[in-house]
Amino acid sequence: MTTRLLMGNEAFAHAALEAGVRVVAGYPGTPSSEVVETVAKLHAAGSAKGVHVEWSTNEKAALELLAGASYAGARTLFTCKQMGLNVASDALLSLNYVGVEGGCVLFVADDPGPISSQTEQDTRRFADFAKVPVLDPANVEQGMDMMGEAFALSERYRTPVIVRSTTRVSHSSTFADVADETQAMQPAGFTKDDSRFVIFPARARRGHVEINERLVWISREASGDAGDWETPNGGRPGDLSRFNPVCQHGEDPKLGIVCGGVSTEYAREALAMLSQAGELPAYRFMQIGVPFPFPDQVADAFCEGLEQIFVCEELDCVIEDALRRLMGDRAIEGKPVARVMGRRSGDAPSVGENTSDDLRARLARFLGVEDPAAAGEGFDTASVAVPPRPPVLCAGCPHRGSFYAAKRALKKMKLRGVFHGDIGCYTLGNAKPLDAVDTCLCMGAGITMAQGMGVADPEAKHLAFVGDSTFFASGMTGVANAVYNQHDITICVLDNSTTAMTGGQPHPGTGAMLMGPQTESLTIEGVLGALGVESVQIANPHDLQESIDAITRAVSFEGPSAVIFRAPCVNLFRSAAKAAISEETCTGCKRCITSIGCPAIGYNGKVAVIDPAQCNGCGLCTQVCPFDAITVGGAE
Amino acid sequence: MINVVLTGIGGQGTVLAAKILAQAAQNRGYHVRTAETIGMSQRGGSVVSHVRMGNGGERVASPLVSNGQADILIAFEPGEAARVLPLLKKDGVLVTASRVVQPVTASLSKTLYEAAPVIEALQAREGKTVVVDEAPLLEEVGNPKALNIILLTVAMGCGVLGLTQDEFRQAVSECLKPRFVEMNLKAIDIVNERLGLV
Repeated sequence: MTTRLLMGNEAFAHAALEAGVRVVAGYPGTPSSEVVETVAKLHAAGSAKGVHVEWSTNEKAALELLAGASYAGARTLFTCKQMGLNVASDALLSLNYVGVEGGCVLFVADDPGPISSQTEQDTRRFADFAKVPVLDPANVEQGMDMMGEAFALSERYRTPVIVRSTTRVSHSSTFADVADETQAMQPAGFTKDDSRFVIFPARARRGHVEINERLVWISREASGDAGDWETPNGGRPGDLSRFNPVCQHGEDPKLGIVCGGVSTEYAREALAMLSQAGELPAYRFMQIGVPFPFPDQVADAFCEGLEQIFVCEELDCVIEDALRRLMGDRAIEGKPVARVMGRRSGDAPSVGENTSDDLRARLARFLGVEDPAAAGEGFDTASVAVPPRPPVLCAGCPHRGSFYAAKRALKKMKLRGVFHGDIGCYTLGNAKPLDAVDTCLCMGAGITMAQGMGVADPEAKHLAFVGDSTFFASGMTGVANAVYNQHDITICVLDNSTTAMTGGQPHPGTGAMLMGPQTESLTIEGVLGALGVESVQIANPHDLQESIDAITRAVSFEGPSAVIFRAPCVNLFRSAAKAAISEETCTGCKRCITSIGCPAIGYNGKVAVIDPAQCNGCGLCTQVCPFDAITVGGAE
Repeated sequence: MINVVLTGIGGQGTVLAAKILAQAAQNRGYHVRTAETIGMSQRGGSVVSHVRMGNGGERVASPLVSNGQADILIAFEPGEAARVLPLLKKDGVLVTASRVVQPVTASLSKTLYEAAPVIEALQAREGKTVVVDEAPLLEEVGNPKALNIILLTVAMGCGVLGLTQDEFRQAVSECLKPRFVEMNLKAIDIVNERLGLV
């Protein structure tokens, strides 16, 4: 055992390895990526023995791969962010009907805010829809406990189990004890049983009965009601009640506070601050760590004697709705009911992240005490304005040249272009001054949206920008569609040899596997050619003229065409060369700033200046300066 | 509870600085939680790290520092200090670097973004404000990446972190790759000596 400072996702990876996980697969996505990366790191270091870990091409591929491994008895771990579960949902819903053999755990990280996502969807709600149990940790330590328990629960009931985290749990750190070495459990191997593993309507009907039965049992386990039933794998029931803890302050409370996820900790923090300011009335407090199937028994006992309940949760009103249903049941049975207050009732914000500050004010009102709000200092923005600092494409990022060249080429050709974006660093191409992303929907959608808009708005030229990893994850189907249905679009693949936005993971185009030797890489031009794209150009995005020419040729081609802009991400390769601006030659026209918006170029009031700490010497600015005032110095 | 907030621009090294403080507090036996900005915002955007230490033997609940609860704010850029100021206690300590980093939004705008008026406004606050002239220190250390260790050393000198110099140096040795340890320990000595902190 070693005590180490671990980020939530790192800690969950350790917990899964300690539970004997044999196969780990997923697709990168903030805030989930570090789980797979940690498993790979520990495997490479030799401490995680017997585990197979990979980045799959997308989430659906990952989950299907794991279903196969689980049927053969292996403990398996799937990871993705919330929208990744949408991609894997086809596999998940059917897998739940078939059931699993080896423990099958899905780690899904939600993103309240959202901080780095397209949606604020709630995986607890998804679990309810898919009829799959879900565990929801309040902090890193509890998440580790849940991860281990999830494998056992999955095997007891032959059900997939979701462990749902959120950004503030996944990306917060604390010290935890972890094993120095882990050994994957050896699976028994696959035993043929087509009454079980082949999904037909009759199998699905039986599967639905099995699902409904086990959800009742799991709800009882979540309430600590370990009766005397035999679980589907022939074992004894467990006890999940520690994930739904109840505590009470004072005697005979009329007020209840029910929390889910990290809001549990925010509420604890808020209550501690309120109690420092004065005596609090009696209240009962509960965390719902198993939001589905809802622990009806323990929640019903919790409600006894309460008149009002305040619910602290993020994203959807999952706990609030379950409590309202419970109140309906109580009313039918003639029991007293409590008023449930939360997101649905309008007593809590309906979107965005919770904070301790907001919860403290709301809980103070709920408990009828004064809020000792300690206002922080403000900054006099009236006297001094601090400019906003949104994320931008890095200095030297090859995407900047690709976007700029495409804009220039269409302008020269006097064509109206619509630039369809996609999910990745290149979404940042929409910021001024590039302003080169007109649509962005979901992974891979740019290529297909371009086709649809081309039908509805044929006067414009439609260009789809997609990254290399996204191309393999979900772009190829759209390319096939463009060729099959003869859509006149231009696909621009921004090939920077990595999955940059999520921290630089390898993908099929890099040929680097997580577990070892370099393999033959899939080439994007090979895939495009095989799919029937006849015009495929390759250009270096740091060479402006070459890139403009490539776009011009591709856009002029009738039918689906493609340009591959190829240059490595600056996080993979940093040049020692730096650009410099001649103070004598620079006229201060700011063209370099207003055209390409590189963060390494500033303006001192007279001339443009380069910040050598940021510059990567890509040389794009030297090609846009009308006065040749910028040069790139050789590498030292 | 000791609450520390670090802020800067993605890539400046705030995450490592937070790790060093967490390690030092752990060595002292405090319960610790930290939180980071990870993902899209790291691409040259504003980032904030939170470090919370239960110095009275208490358990830390939330990983995030609430408004007006930070004992010290360590800023890697003065404009970023201004942005995060609402987290700092009115009598809390502010340690800030003095060089501004121009965001693209500023280069595009007609108004210049300059250090002097921002620093002047920061110094007008009630609590203690330490403006670090980092340029000569960085030059003497000889590594532009050493800004984090320079600011941490100054923060240590303010005395509100509740950690000893030995605990700080020990944590630096534990958190950094072995080949960087000596350079960083030397940087601590240089800062302490030049600013007369220890």
